[in-house]
Amino acid sequence: MREQDAYKDLSDLFRVEDNALPAEPFTRQVMHRVRKQKMMRRFVVGSLGLAGAGIAALQLPALLGEWVGIDKTVTQALTTAPTELSTAAVNQLSAAAMSNPMWLAIAAGAALCAFAVSAFERA
Amino acid sequence: MRSDPDLAHAAAQGNEAAFAELVRRHQGKVRGMARRLAGSEATGDDIAQVTFLTAWQKISTYAGGTFSAWICTICWREFLQWRRRQKLEIEFDETAEIIPFDRSADQNEMRMDLTHALETLSEAQRVCVVLCVATGLTHQEAADVTGWPLGTVKSHVQRGVALLRTRLENANVA
Repeated sequence: MREQDAYKDLSDLFRVEDNALPAEPFTRQVMHRVRKQKMMRRFVVGSLGLAGAGIAALQLPALLGEWVGIDKTVTQALTTAPTELSTAAVNQLSAAAMSNPMWLAIAAGAALCAFAVSAFERA
Repeated sequence: MRSDPDLAHAAAQGNEAAFAELVRRHQGKVRGMARRLAGSEATGDDIAQVTFLTAWQKISTYAGGTFSAWICTICWREFLQWRRRQKLEIEFDETAEIIPFDRSADQNEMRMDLTHALETLSEAQRVCVVLCVATGLTHQEAADVTGWPLGTVKSHVQRGVALLRTRLENANVA
């Protein structure tokens, strides 16, 4: 026997009461509030999105104003960096070679290996 | 006829018609439950409306199973929130008369019907009887909804049903 069978008579009485409640007006009210809530959410999300987009758009002129400076700085950095790096590398290498010629041999060996690998890959 | 999980799945995709059908199907049960727990038709309907609004917001979290048990869990939580607010209001207004239930005019006629017989039970018994007998949840589902131990729910239902029968019989005799 199921546990509910012990009080089925009472359950039936309650069910009769519940079934007597008119469904349509209540359902309409709930759905009206659901739609209202949905619209409110769309409005809030849309407003916040637009506000965010507006703030981002307002930053654009300032960003474009900085662009010339940024462009110049980047170009200069890219142009001078290899020269500075190679100069520093040569200086360091020559200093190392002068202190111990073995470093020169190691560097030559490493360069030869790198050349061999790259040549092999191309083939 | 589409099943509750099907409708819930469609509602989770934003289908309002599917959700309206779920409301139509379960409104009687949920309103009955909320009315009996709150002891007032108007308050019960308010709680039921909020229950369905919360269900609409959280419909994507419904992971199958009995839809009744799921919606009754939400209803129970909304009822507890309402009761918490009520207690706060009563505590705030110290001069307020504490009336647990909204007594309507027909109650003055000493009519002892089902609802009134229910109101004579202790709160724990009433909750368990409402969930299991009136709403049709199993004892296990009621225990899950309330968070009370299964044994406690069973004994409250048993005693509540016995008392309810006695009160109804006495009312019929009178």
